[in-house]
Amino acid sequence: MPVPQFRDKTRPPLGREAGALPTSQLGAAATVTGILDTDGELTVHGSVLGRINAERLVLSERGTVEGDVVAKDVHIGGRLNGRVFALNVTLEPSADVSGRIFHNTVTVARGARFEGRMPWRPTSYFEALDQLPETQP
Amino acid sequence: MTMFNRTDKAGETASAPQPAPSTPVEVKRPQAYAQPIPAAPTPPSVSVISKALKITGQLESTEDIQIEGEVDGDVRAISVGIGPNAKIKGTVRGEQVQLSGAVEGKIEAKKVVLTRTARMSGDVIHQDITIESGAFIDGHCRPEFGKSEVKSAPHKPVIAASNG
Repeated sequence: MPVPQFRDKTRPPLGREAGALPTSQLGAAATVTGILDTDGELTVHGSVLGRINAERLVLSERGTVEGDVVAKDVHIGGRLNGRVFALNVTLEPSADVSGRIFHNTVTVARGARFEGRMPWRPTSYFEALDQLPETQP
Repeated sequence: MTMFNRTDKAGETASAPQPAPSTPVEVKRPQAYAQPIPAAPTPPSVSVISKALKITGQLESTEDIQIEGEVDGDVRAISVGIGPNAKIKGTVRGEQVQLSGAVEGKIEAKKVVLTRTARMSGDVIHQDITIESGAFIDGHCRPEFGKSEVKSAPHKPVIAASNG
């Protein structure tokens, strides 16, 4: 079965194939400078300086991301500085986020730190999100 | 009369508990903040780049990395495993590199293993190399790992990088 291209419109929505998502993991000792582009799930225990495109991103308690994130589902338990574009965003109690979270649904756990703005966007906004909008920093 | 008495009594009993709230009552608050924080499990140090992941840029780790996807840039780790469908464009550095996929660039490692599905386009700088039958190499194999500046100046990675 060919690997579907990133953000292929013909692909079934996330929930139907959630179990089959190829999972990548960035260990606690790992650092990436650049762009991470995946069709599946990505768990970050280490640090990323750059951009992340994924179906589902899990930023663990020790994880750090400096840059923009585009995904369908984002779970943030660590530190993030930048913009998030995701349908569903969850901030865990250990989250420390500053920046903007463009979302359709958002959950913020008690204890999570967030500084910035959380603009709501309709679902269509995320479906049409092929290029990152150039918002003001 | 009995009915009135009853209602009076009922009224008395109903009004009787009323003063109770005015007496100081200890309010029980949820003590969530006082609960011991469960010890966070140590996060895994091994990195796995799945076949659906493409990295454009640098990937560095002080532990092991297993790559099944695509990397357009340099990779540095202790032990780097490159799977059969992986593609790397750039320099791979490590103590140990096992290549089953494709590398276009350079490998600098103490111990290099090229399996039969390996495709290596570029130089291999090693101290100890294993090449299985079927491996493809287009480049030089130089047993110079450790003789270069990589080992002599471990505290100056910037200089080492500029020399390499």
